[in-house]
Amino acid sequence: MLETGLILRALVRNKIGAMLIALQIALTMAIMVNAIFMIQDRQQQMQRASGLDEVNTFYLTNTIFGQDYNIISHLQTDLNMIRNTPGVVDAIQINAVPLSGSGWSMALQHQPGEDQDAVGSAIYMVDEHAINSMGLELIAGTNFSQADVEIRKDGQSTWPAKTIITKAFAQNLYPDDWQSAIGKTVYISQNQPMQIIGVIKAMQAPWNGWNGVERSMLVPFHRESKGGYYFIRTEPGQRDALMPIIEKALAESDKERIIRRVTTVEETRKRSYQQQNATNKILMTVVITLTLITGFGIVGLAIFSINRRTKQIGTRRALGATKGQIMRYFMMENFLISSVGILIGSVGAVALNMWLVNTFNLSPISFELVAFGVVVLFIVGQLAVLYPARKAAMIPPATATRTV
Amino acid sequence: MFNYYLRLAWISILRHWGLSLLMVCAIGLGIGAAMTTVTVNYLMSANPIPEKSQQLYYVQLDSWDVNHPFNDGLSPPDQMTFTDATNLMRAKKAFRQNVQAQAFGVIEPENPDMLPLIVYGRANSADFFPMFNVPFIYGSGWSSTSDDNKEFVVVLSKKTNEKLFGGEDSVGKSIKLEGNIFRVVGVIDNWQPKPRFYDISTGAFNDSEDIFVPFHLIVDEKISRSGNTNCWKPAGDGFQAFLASECIWTQFWVELKTQQDKSDYLQFLNAYVQEQKQFGRFQRPIDNRLSNVMQWLESQEVVADDAQMMMAMSFMFLIVCLLNTVGLLLAKFLGKAPEIGLRQALGASKRTLFSQYIIESACIGILGGILGLILAYLGLQGIEILYGDSMKDLATLDSNMATLAVLLALFSTILAGLYPTWRACNIQPAQQLKSQ
Amino acid sequence: MLVMKNINKIFQTADIQTHALRDFCLQVNEGDFVSVTGPSGSGKTTFLNIAGLLETFTDGEFLLDGEAVGQLNDDGRSRMRNEKIGFIFQGFNLIPDLNLYDNVDVPLRYRGFNAKERKRRIEESLERVGLASRLKHLPSQLSGGQQQRVAIARALATSPRFLLADEPTGNLDSEMAQGVMTLLEEINQQGTTIIMVTHDAQLAQRAKRTIQVKDGRVSELEKVTPIMNQAIA
Repeated sequence: MLETGLILRALVRNKIGAMLIALQIALTMAIMVNAIFMIQDRQQQMQRASGLDEVNTFYLTNTIFGQDYNIISHLQTDLNMIRNTPGVVDAIQINAVPLSGSGWSMALQHQPGEDQDAVGSAIYMVDEHAINSMGLELIAGTNFSQADVEIRKDGQSTWPAKTIITKAFAQNLYPDDWQSAIGKTVYISQNQPMQIIGVIKAMQAPWNGWNGVERSMLVPFHRESKGGYYFIRTEPGQRDALMPIIEKALAESDKERIIRRVTTVEETRKRSYQQQNATNKILMTVVITLTLITGFGIVGLAIFSINRRTKQIGTRRALGATKGQIMRYFMMENFLISSVGILIGSVGAVALNMWLVNTFNLSPISFELVAFGVVVLFIVGQLAVLYPARKAAMIPPATATRTV
Repeated sequence: MFNYYLRLAWISILRHWGLSLLMVCAIGLGIGAAMTTVTVNYLMSANPIPEKSQQLYYVQLDSWDVNHPFNDGLSPPDQMTFTDATNLMRAKKAFRQNVQAQAFGVIEPENPDMLPLIVYGRANSADFFPMFNVPFIYGSGWSSTSDDNKEFVVVLSKKTNEKLFGGEDSVGKSIKLEGNIFRVVGVIDNWQPKPRFYDISTGAFNDSEDIFVPFHLIVDEKISRSGNTNCWKPAGDGFQAFLASECIWTQFWVELKTQQDKSDYLQFLNAYVQEQKQFGRFQRPIDNRLSNVMQWLESQEVVADDAQMMMAMSFMFLIVCLLNTVGLLLAKFLGKAPEIGLRQALGASKRTLFSQYIIESACIGILGGILGLILAYLGLQGIEILYGDSMKDLATLDSNMATLAVLLALFSTILAGLYPTWRACNIQPAQQLKSQ
Repeated sequence: MLVMKNINKIFQTADIQTHALRDFCLQVNEGDFVSVTGPSGSGKTTFLNIAGLLETFTDGEFLLDGEAVGQLNDDGRSRMRNEKIGFIFQGFNLIPDLNLYDNVDVPLRYRGFNAKERKRRIEESLERVGLASRLKHLPSQLSGGQQQRVAIARALATSPRFLLADEPTGNLDSEMAQGVMTLLEEINQQGTTIIMVTHDAQLAQRAKRTIQVKDGRVSELEKVTPIMNQAIA
């Protein structure tokens, strides 16, 4: 390279200024790489499928306050009414909604007994319409039949004999062959046997931050309870129109209950990931602002150092340097400083990541991301120095003969 | 002299306005980001009841499964069984004690035109109100006699009172809650402790409740229970079996006046657990804990990871901004070498030059601080919008934070200005004057 | 050979026009040593800038070694400066961050010589000015006279046909000035054409030929006796 040696030697005489830029680039890189990593991490979290037909589903809460109220007969009436509403595909009563943040969990174990290890799972109490109502996909075994559905009273401790679980849960219970789960007996509540009759492709638990979010089970229960959800799936495009219609129909059908929180699953997803989304936006802003600050810092320092070296640049021009050579000089100077900064920054990015891994349980960054940071910062550096370098090239050679 | 330096600084800032703007922006952005995240962390980790946080203790007993210890044995369960809470209440060994759980119900207003109202409530003991210094507009909390006699009494929040009674003094009036008639004994003034320290089991920054009712109403199934329930052993059928189970769903607070009281109470708890062991309960080693408010909040990691991580990031961001400023100030001051040489020749001492340039740095710092304050204000608004309810009331700038912002800006810019100033003061006058 | 015919240079600012050179004509032959004198603002520096291809001119004809300079673009002028012209400035214009070796190296880099050739030329030209032993010194460690010698070494390193000197002794005391002048005379004797702008009449007299610039025009001076010279000054 043309003048690398000369530039390096000149830089060594001016270490502090160069080191300041290099350090700035290093920190920027460390922060940038880790911030982008965290953004990607959250993005991946947010992109996980809930397993539901999110676009065409909504739910509402049904809270009964009337005394001497026949919950089960009203439940049948309500479900019949909703299922027969034109535009509705299917509907169920359910005890919790995926991603909503509140729900129930139980654990399953291979052998009965207090001292056995059990695997936790979200539990959804539904009837045989669940798969159709939520748009789930049964990939093995069979669905519940109407006869399987039992009435559950509040505080009841016994469980139905059948369950349908998610593929992720089956893989957890039977790591060698998830399909072997079908027909197996597992134990709920430490000692109650339960047979796995079906496996669905996916259905998330209500808690998106839980590491077992993909583990869910369905049990055939109609709840005789004063509070619960109705979960409704509509024909494509009908959801928004049907929401107020069904709310009104339910509210008007009897006055001893309150229908609230008529919410789409899409909205639930949005709320569920609101924090991740917000954090991502903030991180993005940080990355962009940081890059701009570093970029403008380079511009500012380069302009200043060029102003200070006006005479020197004029002399170089007088000694025969072309405009291109002057420009190249400053671009090369920036390249060298950037290289030092980026080298330190790569180490710093990994170090910062290690700290984040220890403190906040993040996972380690990938090599590609560091490489990406390297490329981006080189480009930023070169772009930032472009204008000052052009300015330098425009310094007339006659500057050399000026006395002041 | 100070005014002269100030004027010189101002002239210099205006003369190189582009560079000054760059520095002010860099500092402003750095301070803005740092202050935004510091504020969120500060509010999240604030002491919600400073006047007596040292006397209020959250009680934890390790009643969990001997085979699968709670939290891998690192800490006892975060709530208490009904059995233990009832026993501790009965023992009355503390100055004040309170058992509580979350509840919800439906209020049917007398006025037939008004729709029924779902309310989120707290079922608690009489001591709750004096213990947590709950402010009242009308009336007061109920007495422990009301607890003992299982009276149907209720305390309303200001908002609920406005909805039901238009905000007037409703003490002595009655409401219909879950089909039962309750007598209003008090109305609470605005009271939103952040964090909501007295119950963080479903989120540390939730709003306080709409209504407060005696705890026994849950036991008698007059109001529905909500909140977190965690069981390690099957409970058996029916509500009575559930109450007798090892499921944890209540929270237990005591108020203890002195350290002596505290160690006495801990001794009492240990004796209690020892006694329970005879019935086959508490099979794990004794691990009973009394945590005061701040200890409790800290142990439950109330400050979100995100908030801490953002704060760490924003401080690194600030460092980048400061490095930027050091570089720019250095360039600027060294660019003034001839002027500095001339000033020295005209009799300026190093000390006077030092003052001049430090004051110039400080001016930039103050401008940056003001910009930072504006940006922090906007940043907090942004956070509130982006995060929604979970950040409500956690993103406001108080005068403490505003002062801190300006001081931080001033301090960090002076720090950033030190090296450039030092370099500027050490410029050799002869060299500058000789070779133009 | 350097030939200028009817060169005009007009500086145009917002509201004033300055006619720095008017129909400026000059011919400098191979091997000449021309000193240029004249009062401040007479156009000496403008002449030197144009002669050294540091500035363009408004109109006229300028041939350097038979090549029409007016036709060249910026890069072409850079190349010609690098190959044919050496500069010596009043303020020396050494690069303070670089040591003597690297300072002399600057124009050689632009010329594109290989490392061996550059080394030979740097050492040879520093030898010529008597500073071969101080290669690693920084300019700030030298006296003014020594700095100007480095500048001369830098100018000579590219073996230019023309050496343009702008008040080369302006910042030096008389003893150092004499030394530099002697060095320039030696260089001229070895075949390099020198054009030197100076306001020092005594030094000007040591050149082979003296011209005076006044109001942007040239007037040739005969070699005069010292007494006459004083009358002019």
